[in-house]
Amino acid sequence: MNLKGNYQFDASSKAIWDCLMNPEVLTRITPGISRLEQIEEDQFKAIADVKIGPVKGSFEGNLKVAEKKEPERFVLKITQKSKIGNVSADVAIALNKKEDGQTEMEFDGKAKLSGLLARTGQRVLSGVANTLTKQFFKALEKELA
Amino acid sequence: MAKVELIVNGQSVEKEVEDRTLLAQFLRDTLQLTGTHVGCDTSSCGACTILVDGKAVKSCTILAVQADGSHIKTIEGMATNGALHPLQEGFKEEHGLQCGFCTPGMIMTAADLLSHNNDPSEQEIREALEGNFCRCTGYHNIVRSIQHAAKKIRSGEAAVSA
Amino acid sequence: MTFIGKSVKRVEDQRFLTGKGRYTDDIVLPGMTYAYILRSPYAHAKILSINTSKAEAMDGVVKIFTGKDIAAAGINGVPCGWQVNFKNGDTMKEPPHPLLVADKARYAGDGVAMIIAESKEAARDAADMVDVEYEELDAVTNAADAVADGKPLVHDDAPNNMCFDWELGNPIDEVNAAMSAADHITSLEFTNQRVIPNAMEPRAAIGQYEDHSGKYTLHTTSQNPHLTRLLMCAFVLGVPEHKVRVVAPDVGGGFGSKIFHYAEEALVIWASKQLNRPVKWTSDRSEAFLTDAHGRDHISKAEMGFDKDGNILALRVKTHANLGAYLSTFAPCVPTWLHGTLLQGLYTTPKINVDVTGVFTHTTPVDAYRGAGRPEATYLLERLLDKAALEMKRDPAELRLQNFIPAFDGVKEEGYMTQVALQYDSGNYHGVLERALEMVGYEDFRKEQAAARDEGRLLGIGFSTYIEACGIAPSAVVGALGARAGLYESAQVRVQPTGKVSVYSGSHSHGQGHETTFAQVVADKLGIPLEDVEIVHGDSEAVAFGMGTYGSRSLAVGGSAIVRSIEKVLEKGAQIAAHKLEANPEDLEYAGGKWTVKGTDKSVAFGDVALTAYVPHDYPQGLEPGMDFSSFYDPANFTYPFGAHIAIVEVDKDTGKVSLKRFIAVDDVGNVINPMIVDGQIHGGLAQGIGQALFEGAIYDEYGQLTNGSYMDYTMPRADDLPSFEVDRQVTPCPHNPLGVKGAGEAGCIGSTPAVVNAVMDALAPFGIKDLEMPMTPERVWRTMNS
Repeated sequence: MNLKGNYQFDASSKAIWDCLMNPEVLTRITPGISRLEQIEEDQFKAIADVKIGPVKGSFEGNLKVAEKKEPERFVLKITQKSKIGNVSADVAIALNKKEDGQTEMEFDGKAKLSGLLARTGQRVLSGVANTLTKQFFKALEKELA
Repeated sequence: MAKVELIVNGQSVEKEVEDRTLLAQFLRDTLQLTGTHVGCDTSSCGACTILVDGKAVKSCTILAVQADGSHIKTIEGMATNGALHPLQEGFKEEHGLQCGFCTPGMIMTAADLLSHNNDPSEQEIREALEGNFCRCTGYHNIVRSIQHAAKKIRSGEAAVSA
Repeated sequence: MTFIGKSVKRVEDQRFLTGKGRYTDDIVLPGMTYAYILRSPYAHAKILSINTSKAEAMDGVVKIFTGKDIAAAGINGVPCGWQVNFKNGDTMKEPPHPLLVADKARYAGDGVAMIIAESKEAARDAADMVDVEYEELDAVTNAADAVADGKPLVHDDAPNNMCFDWELGNPIDEVNAAMSAADHITSLEFTNQRVIPNAMEPRAAIGQYEDHSGKYTLHTTSQNPHLTRLLMCAFVLGVPEHKVRVVAPDVGGGFGSKIFHYAEEALVIWASKQLNRPVKWTSDRSEAFLTDAHGRDHISKAEMGFDKDGNILALRVKTHANLGAYLSTFAPCVPTWLHGTLLQGLYTTPKINVDVTGVFTHTTPVDAYRGAGRPEATYLLERLLDKAALEMKRDPAELRLQNFIPAFDGVKEEGYMTQVALQYDSGNYHGVLERALEMVGYEDFRKEQAAARDEGRLLGIGFSTYIEACGIAPSAVVGALGARAGLYESAQVRVQPTGKVSVYSGSHSHGQGHETTFAQVVADKLGIPLEDVEIVHGDSEAVAFGMGTYGSRSLAVGGSAIVRSIEKVLEKGAQIAAHKLEANPEDLEYAGGKWTVKGTDKSVAFGDVALTAYVPHDYPQGLEPGMDFSSFYDPANFTYPFGAHIAIVEVDKDTGKVSLKRFIAVDDVGNVINPMIVDGQIHGGLAQGIGQALFEGAIYDEYGQLTNGSYMDYTMPRADDLPSFEVDRQVTPCPHNPLGVKGAGEAGCIGSTPAVVNAVMDALAPFGIKDLEMPMTPERVWRTMNS
């Protein structure tokens, strides 16, 4: 499943960067995430609950921030396991400076699903992912305001 | 565990069940009414359709405890004193079944349809069956079976009212 | 009273209509345990470790077995029942197919552990707690891609993922020469997509071991209980066959998917002995999507050459057939001997060459699904014919009629020898198409279509004429083609002392109505009431042997075996009757349930003769008592049903939705015993074939995940997707079996798919669209119209 999109923020890339690197903020603004624990630098243990139609699962796994180039880009490496299947995704996130102090956040990646998650409702998942992403951006915007 | 009390095919039933027990499982495993079949796990196939207070319900979509206090009719309760229900007769006369697995669900769905429309058009029948899969018949003879039953029911009603 | 040819209502209906059918999952045995199979979520992964300790400690868990336990017990994998060799004579690659994998998973759904508990729920809960560590590997899913160099291998000892390569027909040089002499060549590259059988009853199996007798009983959802017993005992478990009873009770549809011996059957039998308790496994639908053998999945390139008058000169076909991760029971024969041999179709094509590569991929195993190979062959030919007609500006019906093999009855005229190894038994191909054209009102339709086009409406008509080889049998023939089993059928006719008759058939009914059709044959031949006949099937303890039901073979092969046993009954009966009537057996005639001395009114009834056979106080000297005869019928040839199907569709310009307006099917399945049942078989086949054309298709992603493995994602035809069908038949008897029947189970599914696709192509002709892949979903059609 492809994950791709962008969002324009009325904030500096530095401000966004700081939010994204703060586990407390991330737990607050990421839909579904109930816990985010730092294990070591740039590596977190994440627990999330997701419900997509009839498919409902509790996910547990790792979040890793890699290829950091502050405050322009990083790659988010996600591996999550659940009883209904596993997810692994690499998402490249770029913070592009725009005029008037605005910043465009761009993300591009691919998620790999397995198990029940892959065979039931994968068609609708990209729609769900879009909704969740929008929620995330809105929450981040609020956080920045 | 929870207690459920129901009327199933005219008989009152009182059982203890696990909270998560689906009504379909309760009928099959606890009451041994194995005429109700389970063909999927997404409430899509309709094989488990029964009547709950006269309405066709997929018995895999509700928990046994949710059905507490209701009147249930399953395929085992359709014939009266050994005489087939017009739908059962229709399916036999018009060869509306082959492997028989979807048949109970088809009959219960059709029973709901005929209870509020005793003269359905072919299109109305096909639409009413939209929640029930049959992989054997191509639905052709199921439509005719239900038409057969509808006709019989109408003539019976005519006889009663005459 | 005659029964043959009458639409007798079905004997079996009473139990199904009153909820008294007895399917495998309905059976509960004392002390029963429940198994759940934990399956690999990955299509290709190394299994690094499995930790079952947490799961084993849970309430209600009885035992957990992993692939290592199975390997340690010395249990072999599931065998393949058909061998197809490489062109160079090398044996096909036949990698082991373990019951549970120990080291590596090769498709999403491969069994990793079996959790046995006191309830199904407890087993499932415990499965969630089994910790399996995987190392995920790259996967291949597409057969044409998988043979390229450097692709991930499904099995290390199958280079380029090739199981076999195979060819049939005329030498390729001859075909190439004929093709280069052609005035017109029509070519087609297409996928005959993978479909999922979806019998409404999910598979189930109950293993039971009784230590007082040392005997096992397997209840299973099988089309083929005796073959399952043979394969499981002799090849998988090494258990003596006479200690195993296999029962296939009421079975809720099969369509091929229940022919095969599956791992779960051997697992529950083996586990029942380990635990000394019965073990039941019932598949979820979700699991069925992953583990029931799938069907079709061919990628083909086909070319057909014509002369300037439209006569077919040559056919050249290259196919990559996806076999999935392991060889299912009959997998190798489906894309080869059941596909290549049907490429003559109904046509006089003088030169044919077909080349098939069988390929392993990281997907669910593929095997026979209703029609098995023959729908793929028919689709290929019939798409070519309609496309050629469009390209050569010829009428598609006329082009077919011009190229048909002339009628022959197989008695006065010889059977037709094809270029691809078969001899057709009897046929009148013009007859079925002409009748179908009459039913559809062809000329009027073309006018209606033209008028509709003027209004901007897209109507289309599509043709399909097919032949199939079924009544799958002749043992010598299939043996020469690689079958590792004989394909005869057995029947025992036991006349009871009171004249009632029990028939034990090796065929298995899972919707086909054998209990009625077979009884009609018996009652007719013996002149006794239908209710005096009982058909017993599906129990290896009751029935001597059987090859099961598939390949539209039950009546042609199994029914013929019954007729042979009845002949033996009547022969012995005549001797007893002659003794009683003090006449010569030659002077007797049998009719209406009694033997009569010709030209007199002296007679003796069937029941009296039966009683005498069992109470032989006054009896012919030297004749054995009793009246119980078995036969194993092995026919001389396949049977060859054929037909003509016509579809009329309308495509919605705005949404791309295809509505099937009419469907006409004229089938010739030889003699018909029960027209009602035959029509029902045709209807069901049509729906499945139409399903493939418009709705169905497994979709794997690049990681080998089946992305539409549920009824919310996999579309099958529902009641309001289909019209009422217009069916008729022609009768050209089979010349080589005693009933003259050919088989009707697969016909509808073989002919219907290309008719619908051709109709959609005809509707889309104004857009200049010549090819479109199945299933023709609204999205696909809309995108094509708007590109």
